[in-house]
Amino acid sequence: MALTQALTIGIDIGGTKVAAGVVDPEGNILDRLRRDTPTKDPRETEDAIADIVRDLESRHDVIAVGIGAAGFVDGTRSSVLFAPHLAWRHEPLRDAVERRLGLPVVVENDANAAAWSEWRFGGGQGESHLVCVTLGTGIGGAILNDGALQRGKFGIAGEFGHMQVVPGGHRCECGNRGCWEQYASGNALTREARELALSGSPVAHNLLRAAAGDPRKINGPMVTELAKDGDPVAVELLEDVGRWLGIGLANLAAALDPGTFVIGGGVSDAGELLLAPAREAFKRTLTGRGFRPEARIVRAVLGPEAGMVGAADLAREEATWLRRVRVKTTAVTAKTAAARGGRSTRLDRAARKSASRRTGMRAAVDPELQPGQLQLNKTAELQGDPEA
Amino acid sequence: MGLTIGIDVGGTKIAAGVVGTDGTIGARAHRDTPANSVDETARAICDAAAELIADHDVEAVGIGAAGFVSSDRSTVLFAPNLAWRDEPLGRRVADVLQVPVVVENDANAAAWGEFAFGAAKDVEHMICVTVGTGIGGGVVIDGELLRGAHGVAAELGHMRVVPGGHRCGCGARGCLEQYASGRALVREGRAQAESGSLAAAQMLSVCGITDPAELTGPMITMAAAAGDPCAVELLDDLGRWLGEGLASFATLFDPSTIVIGGGVSAAKELLLNSAKVAFEKNLPARANRPHPTFGLAELGNDAGIIGAADLARRPAPAQEKAAPQAAQAPEVTAPSDAPGAAAEQPQ
Repeated sequence: MALTQALTIGIDIGGTKVAAGVVDPEGNILDRLRRDTPTKDPRETEDAIADIVRDLESRHDVIAVGIGAAGFVDGTRSSVLFAPHLAWRHEPLRDAVERRLGLPVVVENDANAAAWSEWRFGGGQGESHLVCVTLGTGIGGAILNDGALQRGKFGIAGEFGHMQVVPGGHRCECGNRGCWEQYASGNALTREARELALSGSPVAHNLLRAAAGDPRKINGPMVTELAKDGDPVAVELLEDVGRWLGIGLANLAAALDPGTFVIGGGVSDAGELLLAPAREAFKRTLTGRGFRPEARIVRAVLGPEAGMVGAADLAREEATWLRRVRVKTTAVTAKTAAARGGRSTRLDRAARKSASRRTGMRAAVDPELQPGQLQLNKTAELQGDPEA
Repeated sequence: MGLTIGIDVGGTKIAAGVVGTDGTIGARAHRDTPANSVDETARAICDAAAELIADHDVEAVGIGAAGFVSSDRSTVLFAPNLAWRDEPLGRRVADVLQVPVVVENDANAAAWGEFAFGAAKDVEHMICVTVGTGIGGGVVIDGELLRGAHGVAAELGHMRVVPGGHRCGCGARGCLEQYASGRALVREGRAQAESGSLAAAQMLSVCGITDPAELTGPMITMAAAAGDPCAVELLDDLGRWLGEGLASFATLFDPSTIVIGGGVSAAKELLLNSAKVAFEKNLPARANRPHPTFGLAELGNDAGIIGAADLARRPAPAQEKAAPQAAQAPEVTAPSDAPGAAAEQPQ
């Protein structure tokens, strides 16, 4: 079917940059664009997204747009409830962009989008129980069970960065103290490196030199570069971050018991300098160690464009599914509105599965399922029965 | 018709019941747990079940066991309070009883009981913590029990909350169950009494004892219910730890409901209120997200029996799937070959 060969656009909205790409069904990026993020006004961001899409659309035939956004995305995948680095508060992003473009749009949490692409095309292929951790400025997370993204009740599950690992620890912008992302993220690496340099310790000499003598200019990639050149302090700084990473992963293993952890994000560029100490700390802190199978800890393979590719692929899933539904139903417009309750094919299948599992126990239709959701599936199965 | 048996295997007692599809328990049977013999434990379980099977037409048996249960729902990989190490419990019991048997983690079974028939029967996403001697956890996502890749997910009591904190029986330090369980409650109560605190001395006299070593969890709960300030404070501290831990879990699972059960939850509001306050204070980005509801378990000690019985009716996702994926599970450590590691365990 031609539709499954169609191209989609993936957009990754970060705190400073909007990156977009045209992606084919195999996850290859055919074309790229970058813009600065206008952080002040949601309207400007939406305009920027629309501009980019139109630009790419002029050269490629695309069927849908996927947006990966750093923030809480609601369960219907249409609104951004809250974004720490952007001005969005309960922002109906999907509808706003769809209105401008006339294309189907999917909004997804950026870490979820990245995890999706790692599962489809990268380090998590074939894993039935995958947990992805993205180490960037902060820490993003995602849970994929049997290829279904676990979104939770309100769409915001998998925020691993904000589990508390140190009572009364470093203050976090989420409002708490001691969140994991204050210890195992790029921000943490930079903070520790700067602190060391500011202390005037002679061991930080190389670090300071790399930053032209200004501790405030030290950043994560700088530390990683030095560590790769064998600078002992830089190695140690990454080791510390790696250790906290492993400790947090052990917590996640206690809660989620995955088969594989995929570690992505900018900090993971350090490779084994980060992952080896992480594995060691993981083995040292895992509950019941020695009496249970242990998860693998591997590096993500898709790099910084994982989010873009994942968002594009999720948009393809949604568009393909929508088209199928449209073909099979007669009353298209009304049903589409219901369909835009916004579930991916897989999630919907999972919901149906769980509903059917539970009907044996509870005769009534589950109250938590959205009315449109089950109906629509039934309609699709009935091949266009207008009465459903 | 459609009856199944649920069996809750605890450290001291084995409780079995015949459960209908509506989650009600009919006949019951009890045995003591012969804790140090694997064979006798299996025999006691079979015994209790056989007593019930004699009078009822039973389709299947579900066993809730405190320990790591593998994803085939038959083998207990490891149990902290019983002698099971890679024990094929399900097969052994099935061989004797000649009915299908599934084994589930006890906290998972209790969580499923609350999910199917108790405090969370109207939701699809829930977290259940069972606060007893230790802390058990069960998680339901989209109407399905979370088992993980190897069957040992949702061990919420072993999330580390204090770096380098109290040593835990699991081999790690600083696990939540060292701060928010019945054992933690008693440890703190005794420590306070031994420190010579006047408030603790008063608590002991409310409990009708003089020796701190005689202090138990239910005594503290009773004293708190009678308004003893020291006991109230102890439960308050416990609730605070629990609430903080639950805030972290909520960031992982994003549930619609959190259910607190287990023996310590008998303290009700004395525990729940401080847990709620701590939870609300520690939920990340709390001003910008929907909050889950909070409630006490409704099925009490029967949750494990009812949940295990209901799970016995359901096919395991792992068994639905193709076998090869489970077979290539990575880096399985072989516990039975590691007597040294076993000796490290303080139990």
